[in-house]
Amino acid sequence: MSSDATGGRELPRFDRRFFEGRETFTTIGAGALGGKASGLLAAREALADRPASLRFEDLEISVPTLTVITTGAFDLFLERNRLHELAASGADDRQIAAALQRADLPTEVVGDLWALVRQVHVPLAVRSSSLLEDALAHPFAGVYATKMIPNNQHDPETRFRKLVEAVKFVYASTFFRAARTYVRAAGRDPVEEKMAVIVQEVVGHRHGPRFYPEVAGVARSWNFYPTGHAQPADGVLDLALGLGRTIVDGGRAWTCSPAHPRSVPPFNSVGHLIEQSQSEFWAVNMGPPPAYDPTAETEYLVQAGLADAETDGTLVHVASTYDPDADRVVLGVGSPGPRIVDFAPMLRLAQWPVIEAVRGLLALFAERLGAPVEIEFALTFPAPPSPGAPEGLPARLGFLQVRPMLVSSQTVEIGEDELAGARAVVRSEHVMGNGIIEGLRDIVYVKPEVFEARHTPAIAAEVDRLNQALVEEGRSCVLVGFGRWGSADPWLGIPVEWAQIASARVIVEASLPGMNVDMSQGAHFFHNLLGFRVAYFSVPGLDTAGIDWEWLRGLPVRRETGFVRHVETPVPLLVRVDGRRGRGVVLRDAGGDA
Amino acid sequence: MSTKGFNSFEIAQAQFDKVAALLDLDAGTREFLRWPMREYAFSIPVRMDDGRVKVFRGFRVQHNDARGPSKGGIRFHPQETVDTVRALSMWMTWKCAVVDIPLGGGKGGVICDPHNLSAREQEKICRGWVRQLVRNVGPVQDVPAPDVMTNAQHMLWMLDEFEALQGGRYPGFITGKPVGMGGSLGRTEATGYGVVFTLREALREHGVAVESTRASVQGFGNVSQYAIRLYQQLGGKVICVSSWDQKDQASYSFKRNSGVDMDELAGITDAFGGIDKEKAKKLGYEVLPGDAWIEQPVEILLPCALENQITPETVKKVHAAVKFVAEGANGPTTTEADVVLKDRGIYLIPDFLANAGGVTCSYFEQVQCNMNYYWEKDEVLGKLDSKMTSAFLAVSELARERKLYMRDAAYVIAINRVAQACKDRGWV
Repeated sequence: MSSDATGGRELPRFDRRFFEGRETFTTIGAGALGGKASGLLAAREALADRPASLRFEDLEISVPTLTVITTGAFDLFLERNRLHELAASGADDRQIAAALQRADLPTEVVGDLWALVRQVHVPLAVRSSSLLEDALAHPFAGVYATKMIPNNQHDPETRFRKLVEAVKFVYASTFFRAARTYVRAAGRDPVEEKMAVIVQEVVGHRHGPRFYPEVAGVARSWNFYPTGHAQPADGVLDLALGLGRTIVDGGRAWTCSPAHPRSVPPFNSVGHLIEQSQSEFWAVNMGPPPAYDPTAETEYLVQAGLADAETDGTLVHVASTYDPDADRVVLGVGSPGPRIVDFAPMLRLAQWPVIEAVRGLLALFAERLGAPVEIEFALTFPAPPSPGAPEGLPARLGFLQVRPMLVSSQTVEIGEDELAGARAVVRSEHVMGNGIIEGLRDIVYVKPEVFEARHTPAIAAEVDRLNQALVEEGRSCVLVGFGRWGSADPWLGIPVEWAQIASARVIVEASLPGMNVDMSQGAHFFHNLLGFRVAYFSVPGLDTAGIDWEWLRGLPVRRETGFVRHVETPVPLLVRVDGRRGRGVVLRDAGGDA
Repeated sequence: MSTKGFNSFEIAQAQFDKVAALLDLDAGTREFLRWPMREYAFSIPVRMDDGRVKVFRGFRVQHNDARGPSKGGIRFHPQETVDTVRALSMWMTWKCAVVDIPLGGGKGGVICDPHNLSAREQEKICRGWVRQLVRNVGPVQDVPAPDVMTNAQHMLWMLDEFEALQGGRYPGFITGKPVGMGGSLGRTEATGYGVVFTLREALREHGVAVESTRASVQGFGNVSQYAIRLYQQLGGKVICVSSWDQKDQASYSFKRNSGVDMDELAGITDAFGGIDKEKAKKLGYEVLPGDAWIEQPVEILLPCALENQITPETVKKVHAAVKFVAEGANGPTTTEADVVLKDRGIYLIPDFLANAGGVTCSYFEQVQCNMNYYWEKDEVLGKLDSKMTSAFLAVSELARERKLYMRDAAYVIAINRVAQACKDRGWV
């Protein structure tokens, strides 16, 4: 392939041998690799050169086999099927997805895809790898689609069709409304975007009708919310049973510090621990075919419960058991009782050097990229010893992604006086982000006097409308609401997608008596918060002093809907966030008592 | 583009004899495969539009069906001879075998010139042809397809007649039908794309980047048009293409060093594939004699029009830069010229491998018809690419291993497969 696609590096083209080929990173077509694939290429090279301290006999670390359909195929696909007009039309997502399903993939790539499905029978992840992702150094997490396909059908025709449908779906996601808004919010025109597609082996094992890794992990080398003895520079590790979707979607994952993996997160009680730990996990559906819907990202995903995992034998390394008689948690699943996915066997017994590997990988990539990094991986463990089974097999860490975290290095110090000062419109000691944001004059807030949890879907739609108007004007805002922004559960907060609040530079989660829940701590939009350097303020409990509602109500209204008000300040606001202490204030103006 | 004094069947037999010796085939097998298994020759009386009855001569030759039902086109041509049809049916056997599809070889034709026949008269010929052969053709015996001067409409008339006589629906009787009437998506592109799939693999095997190559193409029909499109999509540049001018009864070559633009040329092409000379000149093309395509300074020649075009005379004009020849047409290179190409170290992708995309897609059409379930275009073309690539790799591997000329290697594979099938059936 041409070297311009890979920054001067010549990459082998797919030789129609996926697993048997000499190369585990190949390309199909001409053009660029896109951001995610470029990151994986760099990761693969870094892993090849990794120090001896990161090589383990009992833990194999590698980028799972993949091939990238480069951006050239995307261009040809749009051009030959005359899709540019539709793509720019702003049509409904389903309409776009359906139209792209009817189009044909370029002749130049279909032979390779056919050859691929002829020999590969394991589940495949069909992942987006966009050009702007690379160009803008923005995370684009969750913006474009990833589709998993079981690829286990008997006949290659069906496997081929499913693969092609998945590729077209990823292409279609380039033009989905959320993606277009996101790209615009990043200051770019969506028509500049081009999409490469990664077709990658899914790391995991098959357990009857499910295929999943025992552990999915996301590790960050910088922790914005250190607890206990942990320091921000120790990083943070989120772990989940099954596919990583649980973590990325902000579901219940286990969070720990790579430096202190045995420290249990601060739970009030065992009951709280059981309540907050993972109870469902994602897997690729290998069972009976689901309802046909090539335009659904989760068409072939299935959510299963811990009882299923118990049957699958996958809790061994990841769960503990609650002993109600002793009212304590016992490591492992040796005795009956409620299971708690706390990864204690893996973290405490350290049978495999997972934590060392994670620490080493974070350090390796932070050094390579010259910035704090976030990595994603999946882990599988060898089956327990049984007669006739090979022994001494290593565990496997499939390295799935690396990206830099955009952490501001600015030092901001907020003293008690400033925090308590009269000029503070919003104040909080639970703030994420770091640095100073200037020039904001727009505040969009959910009106506390009419807020009720049952109205959150309607509120989401109204916020969306006001956000669209701001995006079109090229303006940014401070966004104030109740409960968790981006919650999938409308009773816990306002169920918006990132694109619906993309104009926000400051996001505030407040509480009301009818919406007094644990704050999201930015989990739903973590990547976006980092990528766009958005400050996240949490005003927990019923801290009435956290937000100066009186002042907000006095501001001139620009737009108003049933539940939401958009006001404009007479002078620009000053936002100051002290990332090291987790404090932040939104000040009425730049001068005064700060 | 002369074909006079040229007996295709003798060439086909000579090629077979050479490979039979290489394979050390026994005498019985040789004799069996040198000749078609069955030949049908018959008269088709047609009442013409002016009220007279005219009798047309029709043929069907089934060379070998050991590997599956015979497969091959029907040609309407005023100079049609039984020897041409015999040769073409034999090549169909090898072609189906080299791409490893479960079909045998056949070919048919009618001596007529469709240019001088009304649609009704052509329909009568089609229906008459089927009436003569209805007991000897069909989805499990012999599956016809369009060929020289026959098209999807002819196939539909034939299908309709066959189904009327049989009393049922048999879309798998004939291929090349229109999409929506049992035809396959991708069929139009298949032969031309197939040529380029094999060319792409040949270039790859020699470490030559497509982007660094130029090509000259003979013919501007369906095969060459799609071959040019895909080759240029892959990054190559076609600088010369020849086409037949029906009015002048002569061919011309159209050259532009910056590369030909397919859409531009297709826009100034008549119904017979002839390019308008004056308009081409205005678009910056040099208009050269018909044979000029062969002497261009290019790395690749794609003869995609007629048989017998690279001859002992014309081969001398082949430019020193030429490194690859992919035969899109059937039999474009004579045996003598073949030797010259071989001696010059030019890498040849033989006709029955290079242009097997058409029959492969016809096979896909038949499969779809028999299932009564039709594939998407990308599925058809994906399978086509895979099939053509596998066939090419098998041939080139054998050529490398046994140090054979590509044409010989392809014949070795094909003839060996057919001979083995005949043996396995206990015929020889």
